[in-house]
Amino acid sequence: MAEYLPIFTMLVLATLFAGLSFFGSAMLGPKKPTRAKEAPYECGIVPRSEPAERFPVRFYLVAMIFVIFDIEIIFLYPWAVIFRQLDLFGLVEMIVFALAVFVSFVYLISNGALDWGPVKRMRPAATAPSRTSDSTVRRIGRAEEAA
Amino acid sequence: MSLDGSWYLCLAAAVFTIGAVGLLVRRNVLVMFMCVELMLNAVNLTLVTFARMLDDIGGQALVFFVLVVAAAEVVVGLGIIVAIFRRRVGATADDLHLLRG
Amino acid sequence: MNGLPMNGLPMNGLLVAQAGQPEGLAPLELPNVEYSAMAPHLILIGGALVLLVWVAMVRRRPPWAWAAFTVAVGLASLGASWLMWLDVGRNGPRTAVADAVVVDGYSIFFMVLVSVIVVLGALMGESFLKREDIRGPEFYVLMLLSSSGAMFMASANDLVITFLGLEILSIALYVLAGLDNRRMESREAAIKYFVLGAFSSAVFLYGVALVYGATGSTNLGEIVGYLQSSVAPANGVLLAGVALLLVGFGFKVAAVPFHTWTPDVYQGAPSPVTGFMAAGAKAAGFAGLLRVFFATFDTLKLDWQPIVWVLAVATLLVGSVLAIVQEDIKRVLAYSSISHAGFVLIGLQAANEKGLAGSLYYLLTYAFMVLGSFTVVTLVGRKGDARHDLDAYRGLSARRPALALAFTVLLLAQAGIPFTTGFLAKFYVISAAVEGRSYSLALIGMLSSVVAAFFYLRITVLMYMSTDEEEAEEARTEPLAIPRSMAVVLAVSVAFTVAFGLLPAPVIDFARDATLLI
Repeated sequence: MAEYLPIFTMLVLATLFAGLSFFGSAMLGPKKPTRAKEAPYECGIVPRSEPAERFPVRFYLVAMIFVIFDIEIIFLYPWAVIFRQLDLFGLVEMIVFALAVFVSFVYLISNGALDWGPVKRMRPAATAPSRTSDSTVRRIGRAEEAA
Repeated sequence: MSLDGSWYLCLAAAVFTIGAVGLLVRRNVLVMFMCVELMLNAVNLTLVTFARMLDDIGGQALVFFVLVVAAAEVVVGLGIIVAIFRRRVGATADDLHLLRG
Repeated sequence: MNGLPMNGLPMNGLLVAQAGQPEGLAPLELPNVEYSAMAPHLILIGGALVLLVWVAMVRRRPPWAWAAFTVAVGLASLGASWLMWLDVGRNGPRTAVADAVVVDGYSIFFMVLVSVIVVLGALMGESFLKREDIRGPEFYVLMLLSSSGAMFMASANDLVITFLGLEILSIALYVLAGLDNRRMESREAAIKYFVLGAFSSAVFLYGVALVYGATGSTNLGEIVGYLQSSVAPANGVLLAGVALLLVGFGFKVAAVPFHTWTPDVYQGAPSPVTGFMAAGAKAAGFAGLLRVFFATFDTLKLDWQPIVWVLAVATLLVGSVLAIVQEDIKRVLAYSSISHAGFVLIGLQAANEKGLAGSLYYLLTYAFMVLGSFTVVTLVGRKGDARHDLDAYRGLSARRPALALAFTVLLLAQAGIPFTTGFLAKFYVISAAVEGRSYSLALIGMLSSVVAAFFYLRITVLMYMSTDEEEAEEARTEPLAIPRSMAVVLAVSVAFTVAFGLLPAPVIDFARDATLLI
């Protein structure tokens, strides 16, 4: 343990120094807050609205597809380590496994999950049956009145 | 410096409890999601520790299955969350109030 | 180098294999994968995969053909189950695939049950999907996969397989609950089901891990061997593991106090999915629960029986009392399904052979009753799947006498009126409880069925009440169509409920044979 002592000393000293300087500047520095100083950015354009946080659903979709196919590989590793011993048995079982995974891949492609660029709709847009163009006009009208 | 297996078991139990409590008290669906992952990984730690203590490979093999199942759950869960919160700003469980009685 | 333990773990010659001298090794003991032992499961999974490829490859997409294909797959798996039943009758039960799967009467009983649910579920789904304009084969694919998970839960001889079966069942069901993703209720049901389902799976898995730590194996046979050979088997870790397993199963079968998701999910999910959930997921949950507790933890009986007693009482009372105050038919049926779970738990609590046979019989007959009931709910819900308040049933007999009659039969059977399978099922589990000397539980069961009869009768009376003019007008403008496939489901479930209520021997023998073969 003795050889770690300098590191511990260093850690303690660093923490003390950082803490003391924060404390010192808070105690000693003058505080004259103005609106400009409290803005997120002190220079540049004044922000008028929150930035858009929404990504296209396609990003999530690709991430999900990646996660699921990535994790399937977990079964290939143990097999790859001893596949010589497993011989034909291992090969057959792995082909069965790969086929099952592949079918879901075919389904994804056929559904357009991997098409980039302009969206080709395979199915009509998913809207509630109660939503018509009239109700949309009403809804947007209300939103604009409120704004 | 080596630790007794029971330390790992206690750690796993603590992590599992944190996950379970978090799932029940937090309102953000994504955080609830992370809590599920916390619980599953606590189970993984338990399994690996037991496998080591029992000198048996079975527990470690089980971890593979847990990992895959957890991934599948994550993907399905994320899909549902994306579908439900597409038109909303925050992902809060309190917004889910249509079904009650 | 070969076989020497290093870091406490046995080396199985990995390094040697990499060095390219396999002849110096003891050959691996390869498991014998008997696909025939899992034929019905594989037929369902194969059917799902074929359906996916079909949809991907063929441009023309006739939805009725998918339904017909799913029905054919269900019938094929029913046939395979029947062949296995005959085989087990001749050669006795056995385990297969390195002891991971067991082929006995019990597992085949559930294979038959699940296959029937697949057939009826596909018929129910077809016209529903057409009416709601939900395109794509996902309903059938997910239902087939989910059912294969249910079968794996019933035939698992290893807690790992039980867990995988549980997950295959549940993950598909989460998506199915949110299938009608234009309806906010459906999406909300999906996320509620998902969060609580994931929680219960994690709890279940922790139970598996603790049982593994305490007994050194996840194989049910080896656990039994350990429990029988050890002097003081009931240590804290093992009991905690068993308790967590019970909680995990309790969520799936909707036992109080783990039932909170049930009413919301049943109400929000598309009606045919709810029917499938009530029949299939409950049967699967009990398939795992009954096998693990009856067959494996039998020696710990004195430890889990009191807990199950409390669960059963709470489930019976909460289910039937809260059903009375509901105004939505799907919530009523959800609470009634909770109280039915209580009756199956009575059979488990009795912990004797009659209790097991009674539970199996109950699950089989309940599946038919609840599938039929949700067919009626789907029909009355009309387009939009929204009209589920009890008022929608007022005066149904005047508009659709046959439908009202079928629903009456199914509801009364659930209430336990004599000459129906529902009565026999309740009688069976309660007499098992009496045989197991749980008199108080038997009494509470009877009491709860009396309370439950109230809300079943309330719906029945509503249907036979006359409508006022306003509603009659509405009925004319919005006629209630009964597609042929729905009529088939209704006819089958009503016929089963009544015929085997009058002639009970074949089904009771089937359930009893299923327990003898374990």
